[in-house]
Amino acid sequence: MRVLIVEDEVRIAHNIATALREGSGFAVDCADNGADGATLSAQGHYDLMLLDLMLPGLDGMGIVRQVRARGDSTPILVLTARSEREKVVELLNAGADDYLTKPFDLGELLARVKALIRRGKGVAHPLITFGRLRVNTIEQTVRCADLLVDLSPTEYRIFEYLIFRPRAIVSKRELLEHLYDYRWEHHSNVIEAHVSNLRKKLRAMGEEATVETIRGRGYRLFAPESPQ
Amino acid sequence: MKSRSLTHRLIAGVLLAEFLCAALFSAVAITHEMHGRRRAFDVMLRGRADSLMGAVQDAEDPEDNVMVDPTELSLPSEDAYAVATPAGHVLGSSPKSSPELLAALESPHKEGYFNFAIGDKQYRAIRTPGMRVIDREEKTGALRIPVTVLYAAPTAHLWHEAVEAVSFYMATGALLLALTALALVWLLRRWLAPLHELAERASHVSVQAWEFVPPEAALHTRELEPMASSIQKLLAGLQQSFERQRQFTGDAAHELKTSIAVLKSSLQLLSLRQRTAEEYESGIEGVLVDTQRMEELTERMLALARLEEAPSKSQESVDLSSVVQAVAERLRPVAELRQVLLGTAVQDSSRVALSLDDAEILCSNLILNALQHSAGGSHVMASVENQTGIVALMVEDHGEGILAEALPHVFDRFYRADASRSRNSGGAGLGLAMCKAIAERCGGSIEIVSIPGTGTRVRVILPASTTNKDIFSDA
Repeated sequence: MRVLIVEDEVRIAHNIATALREGSGFAVDCADNGADGATLSAQGHYDLMLLDLMLPGLDGMGIVRQVRARGDSTPILVLTARSEREKVVELLNAGADDYLTKPFDLGELLARVKALIRRGKGVAHPLITFGRLRVNTIEQTVRCADLLVDLSPTEYRIFEYLIFRPRAIVSKRELLEHLYDYRWEHHSNVIEAHVSNLRKKLRAMGEEATVETIRGRGYRLFAPESPQ
Repeated sequence: MKSRSLTHRLIAGVLLAEFLCAALFSAVAITHEMHGRRRAFDVMLRGRADSLMGAVQDAEDPEDNVMVDPTELSLPSEDAYAVATPAGHVLGSSPKSSPELLAALESPHKEGYFNFAIGDKQYRAIRTPGMRVIDREEKTGALRIPVTVLYAAPTAHLWHEAVEAVSFYMATGALLLALTALALVWLLRRWLAPLHELAERASHVSVQAWEFVPPEAALHTRELEPMASSIQKLLAGLQQSFERQRQFTGDAAHELKTSIAVLKSSLQLLSLRQRTAEEYESGIEGVLVDTQRMEELTERMLALARLEEAPSKSQESVDLSSVVQAVAERLRPVAELRQVLLGTAVQDSSRVALSLDDAEILCSNLILNALQHSAGGSHVMASVENQTGIVALMVEDHGEGILAEALPHVFDRFYRADASRSRNSGGAGLGLAMCKAIAERCGGSIEIVSIPGTGTRVRVILPASTTNKDIFSDA
């Protein structure tokens, strides 16, 4: 998953980014002002945007309005040191999905980020099932008939991204954009290798569902006898 | 204390005055009337006494006696009279003659008019000596008989008549009193309406609602205008200072919350999972830096709050040139570190009405700002110039400048033109706000001119101080 953080207090941005990268293996981009944040948000790579309300130049509210005006439905979590009710109401009405007041609890922030990403993908439960496969997005584990599938962090992230949209074709570029930060071009040749490993590991568990490669278009999670 | 109505007191006061006037007028009128009537009464008494005199006639007896026969006179029955000889022999008296009347007759002192009482009735009497000449044909010459005539008539009716005569005026007075009272109530209510309106308007002012617009009527009333406008000014001032305080509290809370968020997230990040000793060490170092920054922020906020209070009454003054030179000397290591050339150009005796502390904050903030925004190898110039009545401090750099859209906000509290940079360099966005507060505190002004890519020039104009008390000496 790829998250955009727009926060002028660089230390806070850094702390959140580190927590997201370390804990959940998210790809994180940071911007320290509204204008840069708005530019980055327009690229459409993000599974969640985390905005500070008070920013130099364009503020968080402005970015929320811009994002929603584009028809972009990426979940938005707003951080604010102000706790005025009217401001919060205005923010949510402008299209933000949730807000946290500073000083926030980092654990709570991470939980909210994950919940919002799930919701953004149309999934409410942190446990996602696909045939015999069960993905726990909190523990970041994949089980096949109660047996743990031993996946590397990147393999897990690819699988998690695919299982949020089962049977849909996801391009390699989309995978790259959503799993890596702005340096994703450097990783373009590793996706095939990771998908291939993932496929092998699933097959080794005797799992029929697999990650198909659709030439020229991308990948999709596929089960032969249409489970679910 | 019980509250009293101004209107009621005014009405009561005027009515009381009117009532007293009416009473006095009535009393004077009655007295005057009584006086006139008493004179008429006296004339009447004398007339009756004279006619009684006429009734003294020859008794037709050999002893040359006289007698009184009032039967031919039509004298009022309630009158009392007596005629006596000087020897005290009563020649005749009214049917109702009383001992008091006879006593008055005998009293030698009562001559002319006098008052006395018969029973409980008041009488006024005249006692007059007379001479009755009786012409007797059979004798030679006329017979001269001295007599004393006492004639009294009751005076009770006098009072009644006087009151009756005056009662018309009294009734008119009472009616006028009632009419003027009504008119007064109406007029006073009208005239005092601006006062009521002002009080009403003022009573709506509360901590939540500062709005106070004095009523037009009060502003057009000479006695109320100073009060109305001073209330308005006072409230506007209070509201402004309250707003400023609120804004400051809000800003301060925002900054402190952000600082705490930095600390908290840094610590929570450290405790998210087991880490190596090096990671913990660098984490603790980061937290220490954060704490240091928070401490500085708090100090600067308190300093700014102090500066934005009412101007000090102290008579301190300081030589700005010396301060600029001292501060420049102190900041030279910073300049060298950044490889910026720091120069000063000052004039002697540039006294301004600032405390040494404030002058140092002003100069060091401006020079430090210039140094921080200058590229290596460029110049920063701090100069002090004496002009008539003013001292101009100018700090000029050739750094990256400030964007036009940021320029109007640079003096705002907590404003950072370049967020990431100044946050990282530790500024809280209070430096220029403090400079502005210092300049304005002593009646000066501050202005900033900046061209992006060319540089920035800050100019502080301060009134020259006339006091010569030496606070700062560069010795």
